[in-house]
Amino acid sequence: MNSKLARIMIRLYPRAWQHRYGDEFEALLESNPGSLAQIANVALFALHERIFPTQGGKMDRNPDSFGAVVRHPSALIPIAMSLTALALVLGHIAIYGPAREADEGAVAHLWQILMAAQLPVLPLFAVKWLRRAPKQALGVLALQAGAVLSAMAPVLYFNL
Amino acid sequence: MRSTQHVASPANDPELDHFSDPPLQVLASLASGPKHGHAMIEDIFRLCGTRLGPGTLYGAIARLEQQGWIEPLPPEDRRRPYRITADGSLVLRARLATMNQFIQAGLKRLESL
Repeated sequence: MNSKLARIMIRLYPRAWQHRYGDEFEALLESNPGSLAQIANVALFALHERIFPTQGGKMDRNPDSFGAVVRHPSALIPIAMSLTALALVLGHIAIYGPAREADEGAVAHLWQILMAAQLPVLPLFAVKWLRRAPKQALGVLALQAGAVLSAMAPVLYFNL
Repeated sequence: MRSTQHVASPANDPELDHFSDPPLQVLASLASGPKHGHAMIEDIFRLCGTRLGPGTLYGAIARLEQQGWIEPLPPEDRRRPYRITADGSLVLRARLATMNQFIQAGLKRLESL
């Protein structure tokens, strides 16, 4: 089946299905002769998928897409920890001002714990995902780095 | 005399010569190792004489993946291989055991005819 016809056939499926299986299904269709029987088979199952969608129409997208990778705990947890650390610092500054305190308070300790605890998670994510989906993993690592820098920025700026 | 050339003998009837249950065929194919779509179609054809259409194959794959009986592996070029999960192996074993029981019982009944 030529690639143009394959793409037309794939458009018969629901959008979520296209996102999840579109690329690999297109490769399969292109490796097939594209007889009338096959076209009818694809059209019939596309209709079936529209009537009885897989996973009730909430199909996961491509497991290696950026959205799917960033939702993994090893991607999300460090970002959440950095943002929590940032919120703590900003909250502290908003309430007590940016003046440096002689003693490290509870907020400073929490900030340190949040920043240190994510250190083992970052290499775990990198090792697993840089091999599997390098482009998406680099995007997530950039997000994680951005979150770390944003959490550190007020501390460095105000010399807290 | 009427020719019997076109009278189908049950033993040679091509419609009876293959088994068709796409999800079970996919599980049986993946039992011998991970495969991508095209390899599954060829393997299933060798296994039971049925050539699955692309829509049928991916209908089965999507539902087996949804049930957690197969899982995708990282894509090779644009083709994505799948492998059977531990749950999928259990299901396949149970289904084949039931079928085997049915076949044995059916053959026994035929013997007594």
